[in-house]
Amino acid sequence: MLFQNKSPIALYSWFSTVFLLGSMGMFLFVFVYQSIPGLAHSKLSFITGDVWYYRSELFGAGAMILGTLLVAWVGLLIAVPIGIGAAIFTSEILPAKLRILVKITIELLAGIPSVIYGLLGVLFLRNWVYKLLTPFDPLSGDTVLTAGLLLGIMILPTIMTMADDALRNVPAAQRLAARGLGLNRAETICLIVLPQARAGIMAAILLAFGRAVGETIAVFLVIGRQDNRWPESLFSLRPLFEAGQTMTSKLGGSEVNIAYGDTLHWGAMMSLGLVLLIIVGLVTHLSARLIKCGAVHA
Amino acid sequence: MRNIMNILFTSFTAFAALVGCGVFIAIFTVIFYRGLPAISFEFLTDQIRVAGASGGIIYNLIGTLILLVSALLVSAPLAIGIALMQTVFLNNGALKKRLELLLYILNGVPSILFGIFGFIVFVKYLGLGKSWLTGGFLLGMMILPTVTIALIERIRSIPKKYLEAATGLGLRKSQIIFSVILPQSMSGLTTGSLLGLARAAGETAPIMYTATIFAGATIPTGIKESPVLALPYHIFVLAQDAFAPAAIQNLWGAALVLILLVFMLSIFVLPLRLKIHEEAHHA
Repeated sequence: MLFQNKSPIALYSWFSTVFLLGSMGMFLFVFVYQSIPGLAHSKLSFITGDVWYYRSELFGAGAMILGTLLVAWVGLLIAVPIGIGAAIFTSEILPAKLRILVKITIELLAGIPSVIYGLLGVLFLRNWVYKLLTPFDPLSGDTVLTAGLLLGIMILPTIMTMADDALRNVPAAQRLAARGLGLNRAETICLIVLPQARAGIMAAILLAFGRAVGETIAVFLVIGRQDNRWPESLFSLRPLFEAGQTMTSKLGGSEVNIAYGDTLHWGAMMSLGLVLLIIVGLVTHLSARLIKCGAVHA
Repeated sequence: MRNIMNILFTSFTAFAALVGCGVFIAIFTVIFYRGLPAISFEFLTDQIRVAGASGGIIYNLIGTLILLVSALLVSAPLAIGIALMQTVFLNNGALKKRLELLLYILNGVPSILFGIFGFIVFVKYLGLGKSWLTGGFLLGMMILPTVTIALIERIRSIPKKYLEAATGLGLRKSQIIFSVILPQSMSGLTTGSLLGLARAAGETAPIMYTATIFAGATIPTGIKESPVLALPYHIFVLAQDAFAPAAIQNLWGAALVLILLVFMLSIFVLPLRLKIHEEAHHA
C-alpha cells in the first residue's frame, strides 16, 4: 500500500493536493467537453467568423475576440507607461519613507473591487467619453474606449507593484558602478537598471494583459454589448468609439441563461469560455516562467 | 542636453506616480463624498425596499459575510494541506515547481469562468439551484492560490535551525509539523486569508449565476435553492437599472460600505505585506 506508513497529516496533505488537482482537472474537462458541440459545428469559423447570430446557428466569435484584444490594448497603452514610470519613481528616486506611502496607496488602489470601477464608469467615465467623442458623433458613451480606459486604471497596480519588485531585484552595486562611471540618474536607469529588470517587467505586462482579458464586470457595464461590430478596415480607429462586445461581456450577459439547454448554442458559449481560458492560461504560464518565483502578491 | 533629459525623465516618472496616487485619492473621495449621506442606522439595519430606492442593505451585508466565511472555511484547510505538500512532503524539485505553477495558473483564471463552471456543475448538474454554499466554494477555490502561496512563503522563511533542532530532538515529520512548522507559519495563513477575502468580498462574476439574487432572500436555512443577497451583486444590478435619485444615493452608500469592508480586511495585512516586499530584496 502506498499510504501504509503515512501519518494522518501526510494523508491529509495528499488529499488536499489531489483535491486541487481534481478540481482543476474537472474545470478544464467541463469546458473542453461542453464546448465540443459548438466547435464541431463552427470549426475554424468560430475564431475567424465575425457573425454571431444564434437564431440562425451562426457562431463566429471573431468580433468578440477582437473586442477583447482592443480593450486590453487600450488598457495596456495607459497602464504600461504610467505603471512603469511610477515604479521607477518609487523604487529609484523616492526616499524610503515616502516610498512606503506611495506603495500603500497603490496597494489600496489594487483592492478596489471591479464592480466599483464599473459603477464609476457608468456614472462618470461614460459621460466624459461621450463629451470627448462628440466630434465623432457617438451613439452613447458606452464604447470600447470607455472599457479600455477603465481597464487601464484597473491593471495599473498590477504593473506598478510587479515592475517595482523587478527594479528592486537589480543589485544596488550596479547603480553605484554606473553613477561612478559618470552616467546621470536617467541614464543609469534606462541603460543599466531597466535592461536587467526586463524579464520582471515583461512578466508584469503579461500578467496585466491576462487580467485585462479576463475582467468581466467593469467591462460589461460600460462596453455597450453590441454584437458583430467588425471594423471595415483593421487600421480604422472607428471601432474604438463604438459599442462593442468582449468574450467576457458575452459570458456575463443574459445569453448564458438563454443558451442553456440548447446543446449547440451552449456549446458555442462554452467554446468562448474555452478560448478565454486558453489565452489567459498561456499568458499566466508565460508570466510565471519569466519571474520564476514570487509575486502572487501583485 | 544630458541634464535636460535627466530632468525630463525624472519629472515624467514623478508625474506617473502622481497620476497613480491621484486616481486612488479621487476615487476614494468621490465614493466617500457621495456615499456618506446615504449611510444611516436605518440603512445599515433595514432590508432592501422598493428595488433599492429605500430601505437598507442589512441582508446584503449578512449575505456577503456568509459567502466570505464559507470561502474561508473552504480555502484555509486546503491551503494548509497543499502548502505542506509543497514544502515538506514533496522532495522532487521539479514537482514542487509544477505545483507552484499550477497555483499561479489557478490564480489567473478569470472569475467569470468560475461562475460559469459553478453554474453548470452545481446549479444545473447537481441541481442545487442558487445556493450560498456554491458561492462560498467558488470564492474559496478562487482565493486558494493567494492563501497557499502566502503560507508557503512563510514556511520557507522559518529559520533552518528550528527545523534542525526539532530533528535533533528525534521528532518525527508529523511532530515537527505540529510543533514547529504550523505554529511558526500561522501569520502567513492569516495574511493570505485576509488578502484573499478582501478580493473575494468584491467579486461579482463568480456568484451572479450561482449564489445571489437581487431581492427577496434573507438568511438561508438550507443548502438547496438558498440564495443570499450580496453587496457587489446589489451594486452591479443597481448600476444598470437605477435612475431614481434616491436609488442612486443608496447605490453610493452600498459602494462605500463595500469599499470600507474591503479596506478593513486588507488594512491589517498591509504592514506585513509591504514588509515582505521590502525584505525580499535585502535577503
